[in-house]
Amino acid sequence: MQLRDHIESPCGLRYVFEQLELQAGYTRRWMLDMPMMRTGEEIAQSYEVLRQFVRFVEEVDTPYINTLQFRLQGLKDIRTTIKNLGQQAVLDDIELFEVKHLAILAVDVAERMKANGLDKAISVPDLNEVITILDPDGLKMATFYVYDSYCQELRDLRAQMRQNPNRQEELLAECAEIEEGVRRDLSKQLVPFAKALEEAQIAMAKIDMNLAKALQIKQLGLCFPTISKDDISRYEAMFHPQVKDALAQRKRAFQPVSLTFGQKPTLITGANMGGKTVVLKTLTLCQYLFQYGFGIPAQSADIAVKDEVFFCIGDEQSIEKGLSSFAAEMKNIDAVIKASRENRKIVALIDEPARTTNPTEGTALVSALVKVLRGDNVSLVMTTHYDIEPTDARCLRVKGFENGTMNYELVEVQDGEVPHEALNIAESLGIDKEWIESARAFLIMSNSTQLEGLSGLNMANSPYLNPSNSRGLKTKGVEFDPLGEKGGNA
Amino acid sequence: MTFIDDILNYDSLSIVGLQKNTGKTVSLNYVLDRLPIDRKRIAVTSIGIDGETTDQVTRTQKPEIYLRQGMYFGTSEMHYRQKRIVSELIDVSDENTSLGRVVTAKALTGGKILLSGPSSSSGLKRWMKDMHRVGIELVIIDGALSRMSLASPAVSQSMILATGAAYSTNMNTLVQQTAFVVDLIKIPLTEEDNLQLLMPIEKGVWYIDDEGALHELSHISSLSQDFRFEGMDRCKTLYVAGALVDGFLEKVRKNPKLKTCELVVRDFTKIFVSPQQYRLFLKAGGMIRVLQKSKLIAVTVNPTSPLGVTLDSDTLCNRLSEAIQLPVYDLMKKECN
Repeated sequence: MQLRDHIESPCGLRYVFEQLELQAGYTRRWMLDMPMMRTGEEIAQSYEVLRQFVRFVEEVDTPYINTLQFRLQGLKDIRTTIKNLGQQAVLDDIELFEVKHLAILAVDVAERMKANGLDKAISVPDLNEVITILDPDGLKMATFYVYDSYCQELRDLRAQMRQNPNRQEELLAECAEIEEGVRRDLSKQLVPFAKALEEAQIAMAKIDMNLAKALQIKQLGLCFPTISKDDISRYEAMFHPQVKDALAQRKRAFQPVSLTFGQKPTLITGANMGGKTVVLKTLTLCQYLFQYGFGIPAQSADIAVKDEVFFCIGDEQSIEKGLSSFAAEMKNIDAVIKASRENRKIVALIDEPARTTNPTEGTALVSALVKVLRGDNVSLVMTTHYDIEPTDARCLRVKGFENGTMNYELVEVQDGEVPHEALNIAESLGIDKEWIESARAFLIMSNSTQLEGLSGLNMANSPYLNPSNSRGLKTKGVEFDPLGEKGGNA
Repeated sequence: MTFIDDILNYDSLSIVGLQKNTGKTVSLNYVLDRLPIDRKRIAVTSIGIDGETTDQVTRTQKPEIYLRQGMYFGTSEMHYRQKRIVSELIDVSDENTSLGRVVTAKALTGGKILLSGPSSSSGLKRWMKDMHRVGIELVIIDGALSRMSLASPAVSQSMILATGAAYSTNMNTLVQQTAFVVDLIKIPLTEEDNLQLLMPIEKGVWYIDDEGALHELSHISSLSQDFRFEGMDRCKTLYVAGALVDGFLEKVRKNPKLKTCELVVRDFTKIFVSPQQYRLFLKAGGMIRVLQKSKLIAVTVNPTSPLGVTLDSDTLCNRLSEAIQLPVYDLMKKECN
């Protein structure tokens, strides 16, 4: 799998990618073709290079960076030309221009890398000899034609041409033959450099990428992760750059979240609007950023390397394809289960599975999913509104409403019972009063029936009636009147 | 002729024909022949294929583009490989056309060339930026087939308009229609405050009230029949970012609330109204302004239509010149060359 296969993930990977200040279109395409890194060594090595670039952008002044960026804008994709050269074809003027242009750029960039001690991090092959071949007059200009200096006869013919414009056509034909001979000769001399040219092109794309990533780390306040040794991922104060920016536009702040997960399945419960989905999005994003060697949006991060990342979220696209939301979701989760059986190391981030079906079967499906996905090779984080028996899972809960504002912090809870705050939150959104009050009355009624039926407990213990219970609901002055008739008992 | 010196004051010039065969290429060659290339680095390109020896639509004889030694030109890879001059490559751009990428080179001998530059106005803008990066000081664009948008001030700072019998063989119609286009090109810029406020807005209909506050008026296009003006009693300036069409202009004219307000459009290429509606609007006291304006350097005429009708050159030049209050040149005439 390559970056281009993951970039549209709903976790917001494209947003972070698009914010990179890449200078060359080629770098962009080269990055999209990059395979996801799957070993700790590979990832560690890529961060080691990036670290040196971060040091570089901190040490040099902005105009110096701007000049380097400006140079890198000249990086073009000349793979076809290099391939032709490798196959010993005779290059034409345009192709020879491309080769010369690349060589001049590579020599310039290599000098800049060396001057800043970055030549060890990314080495650009020396292409000075290529320049010598294509620059017979030693002008060091990134331009090309079959120069007069290559052949005295050519020089004479062209001089004649300028003196006798009416003989131009005839003389041009004579020139063309000589020029072709020169090009054949030049191409032959260049063949041994095909590999170095290709490496130089890739090296410059790498420089462009690392420079952009380093600048992004500074701009967005990203961190360098460490590579987890025990398959557990630990995030301190992580944030989602896209959500953070969207909030900042509305002059609101993003509350960073800390989270550790890995060996045991992790269940996140919590009120609606408690940021559960954002947590999953951020985790998915961080995992991808890590395996593609970007800075991580967190204060600190220790991340486990995975073979595959699964992010299952209510998927609009599947609905557009004509699948029902339930069917689309089941198929997505099915893919996770299949992958888990293939003994690959996977991280699965599943947002409210089975949310669109009835609570009885939904709860059963979710409970069973925790069981099915508890294998050693799976790191599972799942959000849900269903009450799940937490036998094999760790349960976290969004703190929720505190003094009228939402606290997005995740706290560990011992039981899997979900908080009941939907009505409070709906009320705070200014949703129709009659609807909310009526719902409350329904809850009280169903609760009292259950409780009385089970143990004859006093209604006063009901969480729906006890305002001191932090998870309960305020029910001040609620009349039990679910059908809109007066005279019910409260 | 004096208008050549005028061109040197701008960093871009587009040559636009009101119709095919209005003498655009003749105008281009005339300009290329006279520009002082020792004083400025000049590059020429064309939108789409140009410079072909016969007109691909009407099969009439078409003049070729002649480059002088020292001039720069942008053309497609394919046409570069077919060139019949000696030239030195200075740039291979990422702009793709159906004939390959656009390459730029310097002519080391004079000669005729096929020009086939960027194929869209955004591609052209990028290419022009590249040109300024490599040190070109003046870019000349041969606009193709009455595609006015390429003469847009957003693309080029100055323009030459080519008109002629190919546009209409009726002299009255020809003079009136050409004068109307010239009127639109000459619409003045709006005031500085408005420019700053409105320039970043690229779509929608907006208005500025008498306290200088900007409001978005509509989520529906100015093209829509259902367009209504609502709640804009204090409108001072009305801005249409997209196309200005007859229906919209008529509504503005008939709305008493908008009697004293200034109508602003992005540039003259966004105006698609009939001369009748436009005149009625002005007659009713309407005022129209633009955000971007390009300098009209000259109007040239080709009195011969591809069907063989030839109008009297002197009469045409005089009548047109009188109507637009600008000198008009017939470059087909021997004495001009």
